[in-house]
Parts: sequence; C-alpha cells; structure tokens
Amino acid sequence: MSLPKLTRLPSARLLIINHLHQQLLPSITPLSVPRRALIQGKYRRPGQPKEDKFPWEGINFDFSKGLEGIKKHFTLLKKEFYDRWVGPEGKPIIEHMLEQNRVIWEFRGAESLQHWIVSSDKEIGGQSEVYLKPGKNGNTCFLYGTLSSTPPRDGETRYSGYCTMRSKQLLASFDRKKHYDWSSFNTLHLRVRGDGRPWMINIAAETYFSHQKDDIYSYFLYTRGGPYWQDIKIPFSKFFLTHRGRIQDDQHPLWLDKINTIGFTLGDKADGPFQLEIDFIGVSKDYAHTEEFAYEAYKRNPEI
Amino acid sequence: MTCSRCLLRLPSVILRGQSARLVQCRILLRSTSCSQISVLHNTHNQVLRLFHSSPVCPKSRPVPAEFNNEEKEKKDKSLITHDDLFERVAKETKSKATFNKVVDIFLKRDVRRRGHVEFIYAALKKMPEFSVERELAVYNKLLDVFPKEVFVPRNFIQRMFNHYPRQQECGVQLLEQMEANGVVPNIETKVLLVQIFGEKSHPMRKYQRIMYWFPRFKHVNPFPVPRQLPGDPVDLARFSLTRIANDLDAKITVYQLPHTDLTESGEEITVPHIVGIQSPSQMEMLARHNPSRPVFVEGPFPLWLRKTCLYYYVLRADPLPSDVKIEEPYDPDRCLIYPLQLDLDLDRDLGDDESFDVDDLDEGPVFAMCMTNHGDQATLNQWISGLQQNNPILGQVPTLFRLDAGPRELQGVETDSQQSHPHRSDPKAQRGEMQPEEEEIIMEEELKRSQGMKQ
Repeated sequence: MSLPKLTRLPSARLLIINHLHQQLLPSITPLSVPRRALIQGKYRRPGQPKEDKFPWEGINFDFSKGLEGIKKHFTLLKKEFYDRWVGPEGKPIIEHMLEQNRVIWEFRGAESLQHWIVSSDKEIGGQSEVYLKPGKNGNTCFLYGTLSSTPPRDGETRYSGYCTMRSKQLLASFDRKKHYDWSSFNTLHLRVRGDGRPWMINIAAETYFSHQKDDIYSYFLYTRGGPYWQDIKIPFSKFFLTHRGRIQDDQHPLWLDKINTIGFTLGDKADGPFQLEIDFIGVSKDYAHTEEFAYEAYKRNPEI
Repeated sequence: MTCSRCLLRLPSVILRGQSARLVQCRILLRSTSCSQISVLHNTHNQVLRLFHSSPVCPKSRPVPAEFNNEEKEKKDKSLITHDDLFERVAKETKSKATFNKVVDIFLKRDVRRRGHVEFIYAALKKMPEFSVERELAVYNKLLDVFPKEVFVPRNFIQRMFNHYPRQQECGVQLLEQMEANGVVPNIETKVLLVQIFGEKSHPMRKYQRIMYWFPRFKHVNPFPVPRQLPGDPVDLARFSLTRIANDLDAKITVYQLPHTDLTESGEEITVPHIVGIQSPSQMEMLARHNPSRPVFVEGPFPLWLRKTCLYYYVLRADPLPSDVKIEEPYDPDRCLIYPLQLDLDLDRDLGDDESFDVDDLDEGPVFAMCMTNHGDQATLNQWISGLQQNNPILGQVPTLFRLDAGPRELQGVETDSQQSHPHRSDPKAQRGEMQPEEEEIIMEEELKRSQGMKQ
C-alpha cells in the first residue's frame, strides 16, 4: 500500500489515554487519572521518548522537490484565478444556483484513493490492520482489514481496536487551507456496501480556537451486508458533537460552510476481518427534511 | 531507636489517618522487634477511624479478636489480594453465583471495607471471565461495595474540589464499563450513586449522560440484530439471508438439513446445511439469461451479525458488454389495468433534477444466494442442482466456481467441519486449498454435470 500512513491523530479515538500517577498494587487495574494534556499535540505512546529534533530537521530541502512544488502551486493559483471568471467554485452561476446535489468524492480509478488516509490502532500499539484498494472493477474504493481489540500492553491504554479512513484536508495553492461549503445542502448521501458492521461517519469542520481542533461531528452508519449496494441518506442535523471520542454535553449543530474532512471509523469490538466498499459520497438537498438539530440545544436541567 | 521514634510519631498519624504512613511505621517496627507488635495493633485499631468517615462508623469501632488475626494473616501475604480472592473462591466454576459470593465475602471480611476501590477494579476486570458483564444486578451489587455517605461532600469547598477523587474515578469507570457493554442503569443505580457520592458528583454526571444518550440511540439501527442470535444454524442462515436479500417476495429454501451419518466403515459424515434464497424477479432474470454466457458461484463473503461472522455464497453473472445489451421496449399490452410506462412532462424546472451525476456501477445481476457452513464445491454443487428444479436454464448454462479460499482459515467456529473437509472433497477443491492466496477458478464441464443431474 503506497498510501501515506497517518501521522496525525486518528479521527475518532476510541481509546482513552490514561496517565498513571502511582502504581500502588501491581496486579489490579491501574488506578489512573484521565489527564487532559494542556497542549494537545500528537499522541505520544506511553514510554516513547520525546522527539529531540528541531522542527526544520524533518523537512526535505531538495531542489527537484522545490521545482515540482513551484509548478504545482502556480498551476493551482492559475486555476483559482481563472475559476473566478467562470463563476463560484469554477461553475457557471446558473448551474451553481440550481444545484440540487453534488458528488463530493467519487471513486474512479486508483488515483482517487490518493485523497484518503487510512489509519488503525497500530499507532497506539494495537494490532488492527487496514488497507485501501480500488474495488474489483476499479470503480469503487474497497476498505478492508482486520480488527483486533486487544489493547497494547503498556499499562495505560485501556481500550483499543479501531480502523479509520479519513479524507485529506483540501488545500489551495501554497498549502493554504480550503474548505468544502455544503451550506446549501442538508443531507449526506452515500452509496456503500458493507458486511453488516456498524461504522461511524465523522465530519470535521473548521474551528476557531485551537482547543477545538479535535471536535468532530459523528453519526452512525449501519450497513446491511450482502451483495447489493445500499443508498444511505443521513441528514446533517443528526450529527452530534464529539471530542476525542467522547460525546459532549454541550451539543451544537454542524456548521456546513467550512467542512474540512470526512472519515469512516470502525470500532465495534468484534475481532475479525471487515470490509466496506464505497461507490460515492455526495451531498443533497432534501426538501422533506426540515429539522435543524436532532438533539436538545437548550439549557437542560440538570445541566450535564 | 527507630521504634520509639515511630511510637512518638504515632499520634500525628492518628490525627491524619493516613494509612500509608502507618504501614511504613509498622514495617519499621516489625523489623526491629516482635514484642512491639501487639502494642502497635492496639494503637492501630484506634487509628482506624477515618477523618471523613460517616457518623455510622464509630459504632462499629470495637474490633473483634479474630478479625485482628485475620488482618495479620492478610498482611503476611502479598499485596495482591483481590485477584487472588476471585481465583480462590471461584476455583471450579465461574458463574454469576460465585461472583456474588466473592463480593459477599469481601463485604463480610472488613467492616470498613478497606481496599474497596482496588476490589472493584479487580472485579470489573474479572467480569468477562465470569460472563456477568451484561448483568445490571451485578453492577449494582458492585456499586453497593462503596461505603455510603462517606464520600458525599459536606460543604462548598469539598464540592468545589474533587472530593475523594480516587473513589469517584472508580465509580466512573464502573459506569463506563456498563456503558461499553450496553447496560442501561436503573433507578437503583441512581439511588446508590446519590447515597455514595452525592447529587452532583462525577459518577452521578456520568449516570445522567448515559441516561440522556442511551435512549436516543436505542432504536437508531435500521437493520436491527437481536442480542441473542438463534442457535440453530438453519434459523441463523434464514435470518441472515432475509436480512441481506432485502426483498419481501424472496423465498427461502432449505436444500439440506444438517445431520450426521455413519457409513458402513464406521466413518462419520457430517452433512452441512444448505439454505438458499431466491426471489421471483431473480428467477425471471435467470430465465432470460443468455445460456452461452457463464454464471458464477462466488464466495465466501462475510456477513457480521454483532460478533458472529457468517459466510454466504452468491450465484451471479458478469455484466453484459455494452454492445450486447438490448433495451427491452415496454409492451403496453402486458398490463391493461395500470400503465407500465408514464411519459408525463410535469413541467420540471431546470433545478429539479435530483439524481446524482455518477456513472452507474454495473456489476452483473445476482441470481441467488445461499449459506452453508461447508463452502466446498461439492456442497455448492448440491445447491445449484437444487436451484435447477425451479430454474431449468441452469442445466444449459455453464457454471463456474470462483471460490475464495482465503476467509475459510479465519472462521473460528467451524474448524471441526474444516478438518474433515479434505477427506471428502474432490481433488480439484483440494488443489484449490493448497494455493489459498489466489482466487481459484474451476471450470466445470457443465454438460457432463447437467447430464449427471438429469439422471
């Protein structure tokens, strides 16, 4: 698999990282305090030494890479500039206004898989494996692997067992962040074929404060299994806010104007092989759906 | 020297009630002289009252003599006590009754329930072994181990700071394990939590969160799977085939029931079950299939129902190439009551197109599906011959077996049937098992087979 392995944090953390204050008795479950890091950096496994490197030491200052970068970024810049003359997002204005649905990711050929990152609990020391390949006739994306929920034997991690596929951040020229704007749609539409396992869809939106960068909106994706394709429509109002794998008390509807990534996570604790085939991922406008948010956003009593 | 110093220090220890330092003192004492022990025990018994203990505690202050001995015994042993307790009590059987017995023993052992946090952690860890991880009553009983009213904050300062953090964490972890196993707490849990930790403690918050979210997501699965799957493999196959076929017209046929036969040579032969599903539209599609194009038996494909994995097989054909494909014109006389084709122009606007702009995936039609616990070619051949009774075209169509040997190794449940597999299967299938990596395609001489069927 030539796909780059994820180095950032996985999209949904089903594990809980605990730091051991003192280990009083060796045999019992660690008396651990879930401690929240002040600076939310990337996950460092327990026992792993801190990386003693300057930030610029990992950068490749290659001349040919620089040339390639210049070529790529100026092409993007040119495209960005000329797209404005055609209309919003490079489409004529009439098309943009009358748009009822949009296909965001369509899996046609191996290069469409380049926009995706797969990761599993191997990063935290687990044993799950996940791979991504084009489907049988090259027109789908086939995510497969083995799930193993054996937690790593580091004495701190209590849960393990997840496999994830996440789309890459959309980038404009010179590596500026670009977002998807789905504010004219209200439903996520997928065509998948699974094996009966429940998955989770995670949508990450752009946030303002840095402590919100792991805020993810999630919902469940239940697959039927079997040889038939399954069209799934999930209204965006159903997505609930989670942070680092924990559902939040303070819920908030998903703002669709700046969507960064979408991800699929499996973590149903059923050890064994799994597969998920995705045909396309799109958004659509469902006029019959008027709900704004499925969960209570008012102040509750007791306020939890 | 050290003894006397320790004895001098004892009053301060008494005031703080910190058992750790006490133990330190005791160890020092014990190392120096044995005669001091009795003195120490007396002082120790006086010390036992915790600073935050409830008013109930002082009543039980007098400590019986045998308790004292038991304590000594325990201290002589290792620090690992509770895991050990579970192992000792439930030596032969691990069940709910023995688990409850262990908890009872712990409750009776010490009035003050010393080390209850460690005990609860050990019990939580042992729960899957005793297969009680989905029993609400057991969780409530474990929660009952916590002493009542001791950890309830009494003033605003205690409420502001994390009062008895270790105990609260333990309570939260217990609730978290309930959550992970899908156990919904009940009112008894709530009453216990209020008694133990108070109204606004962290475990109480956790309880409220569970009770807020669990009912919301209870019926969210559109394809629900019962918690207790049917034990009979035929029933299980029936259930899963109706699930994946998603067609109310589809008819399930049990081609073969599982049974065990004894041959003359005394060999035991297990006949696997074969359950198939086919809908009328699939039969119609198969009847229209061009006999010169082969059909394929593919599989095994996995299907997960909660934590069990089943495998199914599919009879399908390749998609027609675009030049062969013929659009069948609608025959308006086929149905005189309802029009089969509506060509109404309902003034659709430009933006009224609600279909997605994606190329349709044509993967070829699926004609039938089956489930068996024995995925070799001989068994699937029986399925095809069973299908042939309702679909006579299968006698003319060449049938290819594209059986993947891969997942069969992963099947944990059916290992016994696999072991007997190589004895009976034909040499072709055996050859396929030797190369499990690649997809095995066996061309059947269909004429011979269909002749054989017809005899």
